[in-house]
Amino acid sequence: MKLKQIFIALLFALVTLSSSAYAEGHDETTVHQEENTTKKAYQPKTLSELASSFWETTGIKAIFDTNDGEMSADPAGEAKEHKLGAFESSFGRIIMILIVFTLFYLAIAKGFEPLLLIPIAFGGLLANIPLAHMAGPEGMLGVIYNMGIANEFFPLLIFMGVGAMTDFGPLLANPKTALLGGAAQFGIFGSLVGAVALGFDIQDASAISIIGGADGPTSIFIANRLAPDMLGAIAVAAYSYMALVPVIQPPIMRALTTKEERQIKMGVQRPVHRLEKLIFPIIVLMLSIMVLPESTPLIGAFAFGNFAKESGVVDRLSDTMQNSLINTVTIFLGLGVGSKLAADKFLVLESLGIMIIGLLAFSAGTAMGVLMAKLMNKFSKKPINPLIGAAGVSAVPMSARVVSKVGSEEKPGNILLMHAMGPNVAGVIGSAVAAGVLLSIFK
Amino acid sequence: MAEVNYVVEALKFMVLGMGVVFLFLFILVKVVELQAKLIAKYFPENTPPTPAVPAVNVTEDENRRVAAIIAAVTEFRNKKS
Repeated sequence: MKLKQIFIALLFALVTLSSSAYAEGHDETTVHQEENTTKKAYQPKTLSELASSFWETTGIKAIFDTNDGEMSADPAGEAKEHKLGAFESSFGRIIMILIVFTLFYLAIAKGFEPLLLIPIAFGGLLANIPLAHMAGPEGMLGVIYNMGIANEFFPLLIFMGVGAMTDFGPLLANPKTALLGGAAQFGIFGSLVGAVALGFDIQDASAISIIGGADGPTSIFIANRLAPDMLGAIAVAAYSYMALVPVIQPPIMRALTTKEERQIKMGVQRPVHRLEKLIFPIIVLMLSIMVLPESTPLIGAFAFGNFAKESGVVDRLSDTMQNSLINTVTIFLGLGVGSKLAADKFLVLESLGIMIIGLLAFSAGTAMGVLMAKLMNKFSKKPINPLIGAAGVSAVPMSARVVSKVGSEEKPGNILLMHAMGPNVAGVIGSAVAAGVLLSIFK
Repeated sequence: MAEVNYVVEALKFMVLGMGVVFLFLFILVKVVELQAKLIAKYFPENTPPTPAVPAVNVTEDENRRVAAIIAAVTEFRNKKS
């Protein structure tokens, strides 16, 4: 009895549904005919046709059919798009998705710069979705890319936030250590020579070698100007090596110093007057205006952030810069850079070269900083622990922390953190200046 | 035209780049040192030394806690006896 009622109810429902569907379909065709068929009029399809056209749009088919003539997606628009090769549209995607998962693993389990690697890797995952064209000019990643990476806006905002977070006190207390931040920039120019010797085009080589500055935003800024095609690989290399600071730097530091040198204690730093801190960003900006205006976008943003912080009257603004603004921009920057992790852009031989040169650049910078610190220790009245030279690469504050850790391992109670912060923040300025020099060459 | 030797070009970049970076930082160091001197001269330090304040707090806190524990123990013992 009940069964019968249910059956009847179902039948009714079906009839009403189908009739209304028919009515809608009918209406639409008439409307379209009136509009002179700007849209393709809907043709009735059999169930098997529907199924097969659905199959055409599935990711499985797009990945396994190597000759579907799918186009690549590029934020710059159709001009830069090309038909994907068999490898790019199938295996390449799978490899890239595996790479992305490795990045997830490194970020989550190993704690390597998770704030950047997670958005970058997820952007990479989205960029490798077939048919969705998320990295194209109308896709989410492409929109983000065009909004702030193609015009170098996001790296500058990040620099503003870094400026608002940076305390120049340690540098002001012992200004000479700033020269260590200069020595570490040898990583950039030394590896530039290396990259050119390896056969990279000299402009591309300049963009790659900036990784040696260990400065993510600067790398993106320069890569975008000099070698936009390599942006993805350069950004990923820069951020992975920044994340690997605790792994890469200590062996180099130990190899170049003796045990006695590593145990050198540095005195207490003098207190720094508030006015000094307030005037410092202005001095830096003035100097860069005079010496090389090419680098003022970076240094200007940095100085603004720092000035807002040290002025002490706009805490709300500086708080926004160092928290909510930089966090928001980090999300966008990561996803935008991730769009360049699409298989057709990342899986090229150059990426491997970029990774290798990046590592060399980074190691050379560390080594040169340590050597310079040794030299300064010889001539300085106050003792200088050569370890702090390694902090000249601008991975703030990671490398200063690493220096402090190595120092206290050698001699418990020897705290080098504040002494290492001096070269560390000078490294940020140094790599921005180096970036300005490179830009001035390729004007 | 002779073929351009890019390695030599890169070496030139290196000389220029390192030179500018060092020059920049050297001037910066000098200016900052000068600034420190001027400020020390015309705006003498009047901020009281801040360090050791948190340390004092910690020990005070510790003392209070010890006092509280002693009080509790004596209370407990008194009740017992």
